[in-house]
Amino acid sequence: MRLLLTLFGLLLYLALASAEHTSNWAVLVCTSRFWFNYRHLANVLSLYRTVKRLGIPDSQIILMLPDDMACNPRNAFPGTVYNNADRALDLYGDNIEVDYRGYEVTVENFIRLLTDRVGEEMPRSKRLLTDDRSNILVYMTGHGGNEFLKFQDAEEISAFDLADAFEQMWEKKRYHEMLFMIDTCQANTMYSKIYSPNIISTGSSEIDQSSYSHHADNDVGVAVIDRYTYYNLDFLETHVREPSSKMTLGDLFDSYDEAKIHSHPGIRLVMDFFGNVQNVEVENGAFWPDDLPDLASRYWHIYTRVLSLHFSKNRNTEKETRSSHGKN
Amino acid sequence: MASVKENEPPTATPQEENGTPKTLKSIAFAKKTPPPEKAESVRLRAFVILSFWAVVIFLGLPTWWITTSIYRADLPLQEMMEWADGKACRPVFPLQILIETPSLAEADAQHLLRTTQHALDDLNEFSAHHLRLSLTQDSLSSPPASDSDNLTENDSQTTNEGEGDVALLIRLLQGEAGSSPRAELQPDSPTLDVYYTNNQIPPTSSSSSPLASFIADTLQNIFAEEQATIAYMLSANSGISAGAPASAANSPHSQFGSATSREQRPSLIRSLSPNLTANIERRSTRSFKSSPTYHLTLSLFSPNSVPSSWDIEAALEEYLSPLLEALDPLSNFTIDTQVQLYASFSPSVQEPRFDAELGAWTLRREDLSGFINAAEWPLSPSIGTGPTVNFILYVPAEDKAPLVVGNNGASSWLIPQWGGVSILNPPTANTSRPRIPEHLTKEDLRPALAVFSHQLLSLLGSPQSPSSLPLRLLTMTRVQTASLIFSASSTLGALARLTQALPSIAIPETVASSVESTITHLNNACDDLREGRFRGALQHGRIAEAEAERGFFEKSMVGQVYFPDEHKVAVYLPLLGPVGVPLIMGALKELKRVLRQRRQRQTI
Repeated sequence: MRLLLTLFGLLLYLALASAEHTSNWAVLVCTSRFWFNYRHLANVLSLYRTVKRLGIPDSQIILMLPDDMACNPRNAFPGTVYNNADRALDLYGDNIEVDYRGYEVTVENFIRLLTDRVGEEMPRSKRLLTDDRSNILVYMTGHGGNEFLKFQDAEEISAFDLADAFEQMWEKKRYHEMLFMIDTCQANTMYSKIYSPNIISTGSSEIDQSSYSHHADNDVGVAVIDRYTYYNLDFLETHVREPSSKMTLGDLFDSYDEAKIHSHPGIRLVMDFFGNVQNVEVENGAFWPDDLPDLASRYWHIYTRVLSLHFSKNRNTEKETRSSHGKN
Repeated sequence: MASVKENEPPTATPQEENGTPKTLKSIAFAKKTPPPEKAESVRLRAFVILSFWAVVIFLGLPTWWITTSIYRADLPLQEMMEWADGKACRPVFPLQILIETPSLAEADAQHLLRTTQHALDDLNEFSAHHLRLSLTQDSLSSPPASDSDNLTENDSQTTNEGEGDVALLIRLLQGEAGSSPRAELQPDSPTLDVYYTNNQIPPTSSSSSPLASFIADTLQNIFAEEQATIAYMLSANSGISAGAPASAANSPHSQFGSATSREQRPSLIRSLSPNLTANIERRSTRSFKSSPTYHLTLSLFSPNSVPSSWDIEAALEEYLSPLLEALDPLSNFTIDTQVQLYASFSPSVQEPRFDAELGAWTLRREDLSGFINAAEWPLSPSIGTGPTVNFILYVPAEDKAPLVVGNNGASSWLIPQWGGVSILNPPTANTSRPRIPEHLTKEDLRPALAVFSHQLLSLLGSPQSPSSLPLRLLTMTRVQTASLIFSASSTLGALARLTQALPSIAIPETVASSVESTITHLNNACDDLREGRFRGALQHGRIAEAEAERGFFEKSMVGQVYFPDEHKVAVYLPLLGPVGVPLIMGALKELKRVLRQRRQRQTI
């Protein structure tokens, strides 16, 4: 009985402890280059636009684009990327921040990003600075096969490498929950090897199934978006209109229609990943006493005197190493 | 081939069957045989083949082995797992509390101390965090102390080598006669004044007294939240291995780990009230990870062109600096400020609505999370190492002022692990229509900075009680130390489990040295805690944490080396085919020749 109670207490506690996350991150990866893969870049840019619309700041979005379709000489509409033949929405816009571009998009860099094994020289904007309170959306698209995804014609990431990278993230508590989304041929094999907890995976097609493009724009001259991504976006654009949306991932998965997607999407809450989450704590104006600065300054005088005697040994060394708080 | 030919039906090509083989045979017999090899050339060929094999075995194989093997430095895996399971060190927090009894006889004071300590020990259910009372050594000789000069003198005399930090000083002061004992916590120093009357001093014969239990109760109340926090953290972190089921299955040791911690847990968890637990949980969600440096970014956002300037430097100097200086023993702070005009809301957020009842424009509570227009407001936290704490002062447009939060009329809110927002509404007292000043003076900024100060304390994980700021800061020191030790320990455990789980990852020597230094500093931190030197423990905890992180995130440990077996075949076949076939065939032929020769020799 005692043991039962204990276990119950522990469970309750764990349930409480894992209840909340404080930030959402997105890792959006396109792995193919060249003009005829226009649609893969459009896929990723569409997702980028969606998560940004729902409030994830650029500093928490890692965007990997191996090629620059907007400036491709074959682009009939220079400086733009469209994901629909109606060309109503320019995905490039005037405010996109690509974190890894061109030949920086490699398997090694991707795994370094996930596991944060980067050098000192890596700027913070190119790092995934998540912790056990972060939910991460990982979206990948490109050309793949059974248990691999090709990166830029030169190399490939295997499902095993991906699973090991996620496991390392889990061990180091680098995520709270993760949504892994992949749109490629035989996509569902990519998440078949994942063995870490708290990861929801979804892919566009089963083993031995291709993933298809949705439609082509005759003026652009190539397919502009993939089916699976198209119907995901369709749901996100029409059902998740504002950050306070209460749609769940279940609703998203229920919206998948094999007849439309032409392949069997696999599945293993939407705002938990796509949007910005901030469980703000509203303060009542009267709650804060106004005297903190005074109090602190009065306290500081006494405290320094106490400390200077108490820790005279520690303090001398510390004063030298301590950098004064500069203002700029 | 021969057997296949034999199976063919003889009727298929009878002519050939009968004729051709014979002619072929006769031709073969007629064919001239090559001249017999000289013994010298046979020997030479054997040498050539042998030398090829020698090169392959003595040069090729070692080279292949050396170039493809993965360097793995030795890590003290056992010890690392022990830290992760919480077996290497059980953090204890003996808090030293000094009692100053200026007007008591020594024997009375000693007795009071003993009874109070007894009462305290009875109250305390949590052995890892306990209060140790002791008398200031010269409490008899010193005159009744009422000013801080005396306080520092006393402290300096009682603090000897090896003695820990003083968590709290109790001053027993004479109160007015006839009243019950009364306690007062000084807001600006870690001092508790207890007023008593002479008849409340317990006689040396009695084993309990109202004054002793009153002091014990008061102390217990003061440190209740800290105790609960530490109990909560202990129970949370003894379940590290439970949180990673895959690894728990791998190592049989974690079974023991959870078994020992299970004894602790029920009493801890049960003794916490659900309310308090929820509070602690919220605080841990809200607060930043402990860091030696924080960057504060104060931003002024306005939807139009006013106010275009603010007296932020003077205001910071006067209203925020004292707090930062008080926080100095914990962390350093850098401050940045910016003014951003024409900042618009995100299009997905509803515009504020006018509430006639409040006489103010209101924001919907559920829209607050989208209040910050992350896509357009420049709040990118790319300043050096360490987290950035954002504080946003929003001045609404004149036609949208005053602006408040819908349901309770608040004008500020806190965003967990990110920062705080405060709306500065212009005073509407004497003018019917609010006017936004072009320049915000120091006085205008005062309320906002007061809010930011409290938000900063909250975000750094300061407890809500006790009311005294210095006591809260001391509590933060201890709580941060505990969290650093737990974090470093869990990183060690993660590294150890990864080392075992992924044999293909290289482990360079630097990782081993980081691990070693982490363990050293963890041990030091643990010792410091045991002896009550909390600031020393914090320093060691910091270093241990940083070293553990450096070890775990070693740049060269990238697990991008998984090759399925078919890949290995695909890599080695083109190499082994052209090289291996002639080598093996040559060796076989030579072997055959040697055997034949030997047989011939035997028959002769």
